[in-house]
Amino acid sequence: MSQRTMVVDLDRCIGCKSCEVACKQENGVVLGCTWNKVLTVGPTGTYPNIQMYYLPTMCQECKDAQCVKVCPTGASYKSEDGTVLIDKEKCIGCRYCMMACPYGVRTFNEETKVVEKCTLCTQLQAVGEQPACVKNCPAGCRFVGDIDDPNSEVAKVIQKAGSDSVHALPDVGNRPSVRYILHSKIATWKE
Amino acid sequence: MSIQWPLVFFTLFVGLGCGTFVSAVVLTEWCGKAKQIRTISSLIAIVALGLGGMSSTLHLGHPERMFGALGHPTSGIFMESTMIFLVGLTILVYLLALRRNASDGTCKIIATVGAVLAVVLAFVNGDAYVMASIPAWNTWILPVFYVASAAVMGCFSTGVLLARAEDVDTTALTTIKRAALIAIAIQTVLLIAYLGHIAVAPYPDVTRSVARVLAGNLAPLFWGGLVLIGLLVPVVLMTKFYTKNTESISPLTSVKLGLASVLAAGVAFRVMMFLLGSSIKQFF
Repeated sequence: MSQRTMVVDLDRCIGCKSCEVACKQENGVVLGCTWNKVLTVGPTGTYPNIQMYYLPTMCQECKDAQCVKVCPTGASYKSEDGTVLIDKEKCIGCRYCMMACPYGVRTFNEETKVVEKCTLCTQLQAVGEQPACVKNCPAGCRFVGDIDDPNSEVAKVIQKAGSDSVHALPDVGNRPSVRYILHSKIATWKE
Repeated sequence: MSIQWPLVFFTLFVGLGCGTFVSAVVLTEWCGKAKQIRTISSLIAIVALGLGGMSSTLHLGHPERMFGALGHPTSGIFMESTMIFLVGLTILVYLLALRRNASDGTCKIIATVGAVLAVVLAFVNGDAYVMASIPAWNTWILPVFYVASAAVMGCFSTGVLLARAEDVDTTALTTIKRAALIAIAIQTVLLIAYLGHIAVAPYPDVTRSVARVLAGNLAPLFWGGLVLIGLLVPVVLMTKFYTKNTESISPLTSVKLGLASVLAAGVAFRVMMFLLGSSIKQFF
């Protein structure tokens, strides 16, 4: 089994939102739609002990993707490398997948009347390039690869960070595969 | 989550259709009362199911691709569509049996099959929303509430038909009156249980909190739409329905107003459900 996914090193993220812009530009994401969004978590605490970090959000490439399970036409599917994708020719625009996503990271395109999401830039990866958000990140905080392959870059980055500093979004049975690295010396991970 | 109006009216009309058919079947076929409303109640049920089905297609971005759902029979949408088709088909067969003066036994069997399917449909309608991603919806109380809501609407709808019919057995009126009050009582218990679920649901958030329902921006919808219009007003109106020495309001007006109020409350509950339906994390 392979599971292509993304690892984001929050220790390095500077919240510049270059990834958001690069994503929009590469994928032609229309106004009002979002595939990738950088959130600010915090600040929390009391001066001078203030904490804050940036959280880039996108499809969490769940292993048991609920969006795929509820899709009535099979438009939402998992590709061979584990990436969750949408066949826009099959999508009926029922938005059931948007309800089933625990993170609200799918978006409805009002122009084409179909649901869209991050594709990990499969069109770029197919020609040996990195996703737009990865290659345009000035801090180099994004990594993409097969998390089930111990020799992949993402697996190595996770191993290097140490298990205490590797985090994931809440799991309600969907088994998100995206991992965030945040060391406690930078900030405390907020569930 | 924003209010999905087509889905609000989809489940409302489907609930009305299922409730009308089941309450009429119980009254006419099982209790053997007011048999003159069998045809009209079935027609109303099938029209309501049709309206519900049409409402649901308004929600779709590409309804022309709907047949793609036939390849994935486990999805909620497929199950809802199939159940509507089966209930509608059974009602048509029942109408045909009535038209051709089929025996009482035959009519009763067909009606019973249809009633069971209608209860399942009302349940499936609510069950489609039960998902782990939305804590406020992730409870069996929701589909059971949809069944209770269908029962309340059905009792009032059947009540209107009885009030309009001629030579109705007074025991039929008593039966539907009692059934409506029991259904409202069950709905009240379920509403309280639903509030309890929201209070203890995991991943608490202000968007789906009891405080928002009871005292926040959903309070007018809850107290006005659900408690006042959905519970108190129908109880008062149904209590006055064919009660001796009640000259202030006619039985037909009473039950018509009751039907209007339970339909309004049905809308209010579904609207509240969508407004409480925030994901565990709503990033976009």
